[in-house]
Amino acid sequence: MSQNESSPLKSSSSSLQDFSMMSLSPSLGSSYPWLKELKSEERGLYLIHLLLTCANHVATGSLENANIALEQISELASPDGDTMQRIAAYFTEALADRILKTWPGLHKAINSTRVVDLVSEQALVRRLFFEVFPFLKAAFLLVNQAIIEAMEGEKVVHVIDLDAAEPMQWIALIRGLSARPEGPPHLRITGIHVRKEVLDQMGHRLSEEAEKLDIPFQFNPVVGELEDLDVERLHVKTGEAVAISSVLRLHSLLASDDEPLRKKLPLALKNSNGIHLQRALQMSQNTLGELLEKDTVNGYSPSPDSASSSPLSSPVSPKVDTFLTALRGLLPKLVVITEQDSNHNGSTLMERLLESLHSYAALFDCLESTVSRASFERLKLEKMLFGNEIKNIISCEGAERKERHEKLEKWIQRLDSAGFCNVPLSYYGMLQAKTLLQGYNCNGYKMKGENGCVMICWQDRPMFSVSAWRCRNSL
Amino acid sequence: MSGEAFSLPAASIGGFIQDPSNANPNPKPNANPAKKKRNLPGTPDPDAEVIALSPKTLMATNRFICEICKKGFQRDQNLQLHRRGHNLPWKLRQRTNKEVRKKVYICPEKTCVHHDPSRALGDLTGIKKHFSRKHGEKKWKCEKCSKKYAVQSDWKAHSKTCGTREYKCDCGTLFSRKDSFITHRAFCDALAEESARLTSVAATSLNFGNDTVNLPHGFAGRGVQDVAGIPQFGSGFPQDFSGMPAPGLPEMVQMAPANLFGSSSHFPGFENGGATSSNSNNLSLSQLPQGLKEEGRNEGNLMESLSSLYSDNQNKQSKANASPMSATALLQKAAQMGSTRSNPSFFGNSFGVMSSSSSHTAPTFMASSSASMSATSNNLDKLMLQTGGKPSEPSLLSMHHPGSNSFAQSLTRDFLGMSNDQSPRPFLPQELAKYAAIGSTMGLSQFTSSNH
Repeated sequence: MSQNESSPLKSSSSSLQDFSMMSLSPSLGSSYPWLKELKSEERGLYLIHLLLTCANHVATGSLENANIALEQISELASPDGDTMQRIAAYFTEALADRILKTWPGLHKAINSTRVVDLVSEQALVRRLFFEVFPFLKAAFLLVNQAIIEAMEGEKVVHVIDLDAAEPMQWIALIRGLSARPEGPPHLRITGIHVRKEVLDQMGHRLSEEAEKLDIPFQFNPVVGELEDLDVERLHVKTGEAVAISSVLRLHSLLASDDEPLRKKLPLALKNSNGIHLQRALQMSQNTLGELLEKDTVNGYSPSPDSASSSPLSSPVSPKVDTFLTALRGLLPKLVVITEQDSNHNGSTLMERLLESLHSYAALFDCLESTVSRASFERLKLEKMLFGNEIKNIISCEGAERKERHEKLEKWIQRLDSAGFCNVPLSYYGMLQAKTLLQGYNCNGYKMKGENGCVMICWQDRPMFSVSAWRCRNSL
Repeated sequence: MSGEAFSLPAASIGGFIQDPSNANPNPKPNANPAKKKRNLPGTPDPDAEVIALSPKTLMATNRFICEICKKGFQRDQNLQLHRRGHNLPWKLRQRTNKEVRKKVYICPEKTCVHHDPSRALGDLTGIKKHFSRKHGEKKWKCEKCSKKYAVQSDWKAHSKTCGTREYKCDCGTLFSRKDSFITHRAFCDALAEESARLTSVAATSLNFGNDTVNLPHGFAGRGVQDVAGIPQFGSGFPQDFSGMPAPGLPEMVQMAPANLFGSSSHFPGFENGGATSSNSNNLSLSQLPQGLKEEGRNEGNLMESLSSLYSDNQNKQSKANASPMSATALLQKAAQMGSTRSNPSFFGNSFGVMSSSSSHTAPTFMASSSASMSATSNNLDKLMLQTGGKPSEPSLLSMHHPGSNSFAQSLTRDFLGMSNDQSPRPFLPQELAKYAAIGSTMGLSQFTSSNH
């Protein structure tokens, strides 16, 4: 963390760390009465300081100090306060969750009555994210336009959705394709998702829409985890033009590649089916030991997985590379990737904390500027969507940590090495998306194009990226 | 793509022999035009005859040569008339009165899109020009702008308009075509801001929480006030936009996404789509969250009271007076504070606090934190230690402790009422180095006194 001390140019992350090192004069009386007197800005700054300090303690294993920091944060943070208070609330919960994992029994017990992953909850959160923010809509506009243009002249179009949960995207595509001058193609959409109910819903809605517009249409549900996907199940036929769309899903494939965990498990488990077993064993083993070992050895965990700070180092991620290669084997005409554009995949806790503080600050600011504080929808989004992501980024490690967002340049490298080359996004699509963003009645949403890819930003911070690809050297 | 394989003879017979292939490409399943009509580009008549010419044939200018004087003619009719002059037998072909079968031509270049019979072009001249343009050498160059052309007529057409009529966008880009200029303008950043400005102005009069937000009114407004340029796009437009009908930008863009995203009347018309689907999902979502950010603004007044607390060092205050600082701004501020070594003490600076640079100044936060815990959580300590916490270094703290100023000491005693002679907290060497330079605890007193 403080290796940057001698560097002449301080990045904002390391400066932030220095900030945490500053002595905070106030002492820590048991009731902290003066804390309540803090005004918004001071409180915000103090919260940042506390969060960083706390994370430091957690990372170095000094849990009592972490406890004190947590206590202070809890006095100040609140899920219905101002932006910084809300952010602090979710980060502190994530840190606490991380600490609690050092007692696996305790952790499980405290979560024993938590009803996990209700389908309706997930659907609600997804719908809220789609409605409240323009990100998904803009991305869909870009993706669909790219598909429509790539499929010009094609008679049979097969679209594969790597995480088929939002029917709106494909409804829009169906309408777009039916309006094209040469008439609609025969359309097949294959949707992949863990839950059968979601796919059934989607298939139903899409078939309905296609029938209304009289388009020959077929929906193929593929139930299962993307990580275990066998491309044969996609039933790609020769001669059909394939388009693959991945919306905020590819990053979780980066999660299956942790070396330190693999080392601990017997060789027999090291095959693709072993991922499940690995996960199961991980829980029953001494996760405490692993966590602390990762955190206290040399100060920070040395796991070689994924992103370090240097943009040029290409991480070893066999799982996602294999997957991309398999996709390329289908010879798709177009692959469109939509991803969060933040580096939340640092190998150390502090790296991830600093980065995610900035990214989620932007998202929470966005909500603050567009939705009222009393809004139930906002609360739900903050808690069920962002809160869970933050928890995953901060308190999970290894295969459990699925929210491995990375910056676009890393994805570009990966796709490049898997045999794809970039297709610039459609000018018309960008025009539409830009108009949409401007129409959201808020000056904060921006869009910028970079080498044919598009970044959708809040103020100046890129939040999501969309990029399109085709097979290199193919006919 | 038709998917049927065609074996067209490679037309390497040379010369100008046409090789009609009788295989019917059948590119489109429907259509049997009764009368002569123009097909859409790249969608040839299904029962037209496909003709494959060699590159040589296509490029040949004067295909018809007089045997006697070797003069070349583009048309057979002209050659025949010329032969009269040599007293050779000549015959003018009559126009055939039986029904002429339509001919379509494919490009000889294998990698070309138009090599496929289903993408054949309907005109001989067209295919010749296409071949030159795409696969030929660009021999014609415009004098003014150095743009090169393979086909002479293209070159001529360009030279006529090069530099004559120009459109200039506010961002400085020049256009010769009206339609591309218009497209660009719509997309250009410079205008985006203007329209955003107009939008926010127009929008304040709108019902915020409602779904009736149409296309940014900035667009329509701009169209009105701009120089004669935006509204009607005319027929030139569709080329850019892959065949979308183009009545005018606002309507067009409104219409297309309306197609794409579900609502027939609204531009970001997702609400309707959302409503219908949410019904089917059994979710009753209220309308898009109301009250966009009105009440939040009131809290901005809080910031004014803050300015009393901070001296001119914290000059960001003036900026933050109007509204509460966003989290992003707070983080930036924190990073700034962290990076300015000269101002290490957090709250203390404005109170003229001395910032001692000796190594005696304790990181009281850390010290007292560990101290307070140690008394109350000995058992927990033991648990922690056995699971990997590093052993304490009490000597460091006790060294620091006498060094810290008496005030801080008394304060810590006040609050904690215990001695801090043990600390399980490990100190990393780097942290120590930092603490050496870090300021004091004096800020506390001023801070609490000003607040209480």
